[in-house]
Amino acid sequence: MSRLAAELPAPTGAKPARAGRRRRNRQERLAYTILLPALGTVFVIVTIPFVLAVWQSITADDGTLIGLRNYARALSNPLFYDALRATGIYAIIVLPAEIFLGLAFALLVHRTVKRPGLRATLYVLAVLPLVVPPVAVGVVARLIYAPGYGVLNYFLQSAGLAHSEVEWLGVPVLAMGSVASVDIWQWTPFVYLVLFAGLQTVPRESIEAAQVDGATWWTQFIYIELHYLRPLFLLILFFRVADVLRVFDHVFILTGGGPGTSTQLLSLYMYRIEFKFFDGGQAAALAVLVLVSISILYSLVTRALPLERA
Amino acid sequence: MRSRSAAIWLRLILIIAGLGVAAFIYAFPLYWLVATSLKGKAELYQSITLIPQHPTLASYGSVLFERGFWVLLKNSVIVCAATVVVTLAVGLLITYPITRLPVPPQLRVGVLNWALSLRFLPPIAVVIPYFAIVRTLQLYDQPIALIGIYSLFNLPFSIWMLKGFLAEIPLELEEAALVDGANRWTSFRRVLLPLATPGLMAAATIVFTFAWSEFLFALILTATPNAQTFPVGVQGLVTQFEIIWNDMAAAGVIAMSVPLVLMVVARKYLVAGLTFGVIREK
Repeated sequence: MSRLAAELPAPTGAKPARAGRRRRNRQERLAYTILLPALGTVFVIVTIPFVLAVWQSITADDGTLIGLRNYARALSNPLFYDALRATGIYAIIVLPAEIFLGLAFALLVHRTVKRPGLRATLYVLAVLPLVVPPVAVGVVARLIYAPGYGVLNYFLQSAGLAHSEVEWLGVPVLAMGSVASVDIWQWTPFVYLVLFAGLQTVPRESIEAAQVDGATWWTQFIYIELHYLRPLFLLILFFRVADVLRVFDHVFILTGGGPGTSTQLLSLYMYRIEFKFFDGGQAAALAVLVLVSISILYSLVTRALPLERA
Repeated sequence: MRSRSAAIWLRLILIIAGLGVAAFIYAFPLYWLVATSLKGKAELYQSITLIPQHPTLASYGSVLFERGFWVLLKNSVIVCAATVVVTLAVGLLITYPITRLPVPPQLRVGVLNWALSLRFLPPIAVVIPYFAIVRTLQLYDQPIALIGIYSLFNLPFSIWMLKGFLAEIPLELEEAALVDGANRWTSFRRVLLPLATPGLMAAATIVFTFAWSEFLFALILTATPNAQTFPVGVQGLVTQFEIIWNDMAAAGVIAMSVPLVLMVVARKYLVAGLTFGVIREK
């Protein structure tokens, strides 16, 4: 726990209280002298793009006000809804899969692996996928799914499960599955690490008491451990949703949004509007819409997070 | 009794099968990447071989020197190192007052909440207006444009991590130095900084790793080897009309080797960083 300012140790010795207060005031002034310029600069740097995006979205290239026309165009573009749908499908695939698999492995390791050395090894192994650059993960996925050199087709054909090449990246459903599999590969270890750490916080006495009462591993999970993991599920969802909304790299490498628009997630769609169609007005309107909706979403969920804010 | 031991065996087999499948799913793709990078050109056009027939490092030479990617590697190192310095300096300027000096608790909570909210900013929504700013300032295709935006996006992590590390150092140590007549700056430099060094190193490693992996901003804000980072180069190999598999794989190996090596050093702190301090290892 971090300390609160009120708990600062009182000045030693029998100094008069007024000197202490003066010193506190001086310290507080010092705090603001350091803090305000730094915070101010960051605040301005963060805010300028937003203000500029609003400005770009309501003006034409020559600077004349055009009202909300860009917003109307952004919202009436059917591709926008394709992108929202693709992002939603992606989230519906990866979030439950990651949480289920991560939980399953956390429980499995927690129950069966008792040797500290082995647990530490598993910890390191689980950390590694998290730091592989998404671009490199995309490259790996390409080597597995791509036509011609993709090793998955080689395995399937060797095992007699497929007679011709499966177009993993050429059929919408399969392409979405391939792209999602990369996310699951990279981020399941994150869920595992968080939930495994959470399982360590369950008091041993309550588990032992439950076992004396004849709890099976399932009732032990449902009635005791789940209770301790609940805030962590929320935390995982929060960070994973934030990440799903920004997914770009591995999809760009693996499918580029295709075939058609089947894997064109929100980030890829906005990239395309701005940097392929050079439609700055519509892109700015989209940026504002996304920033506003994310701020709303954020303010709704942030209070519930188990973060140590003091 | 027999059925009970059968059940235990069955469970053991299931456990080993589960761990085995997971091990294969994680190890094989990485093996396949490395194996592909070690193949010669000729081998790529035969039927697929799981083990390189004539292992060679030719693809690494081809990527780094013939294609000139060593320049991109250099850019990446410069951008990441500068990002680390800026992020930690600004992070310290913000976390030092809120953890070591008497500020109102609401201010502390407000700053931390605000930093957390930055974590939710979607890069693509920010980069669209940022791109216009960068062009106006004539910083397009300059490393400094990347350093600025990387520092901004890594600030939330570093604020929360540094706050955690600084809060663990007893205030009394600094107080003692102050009582002995040192001024704030000296006690910061001589007392706090040495004690915070392990934490700072951990934060530096993690920020370096994140900046190293970044792709979207680099793709949009750079155009030539003047400022392009390594991931942009990797992407260039992928979207070509004809993919040279071994070169692409070698580039992938290089891109991931740096963070993997760094993480062996900072592994204890990564999860704390990713969860804003909720999960701490030992």
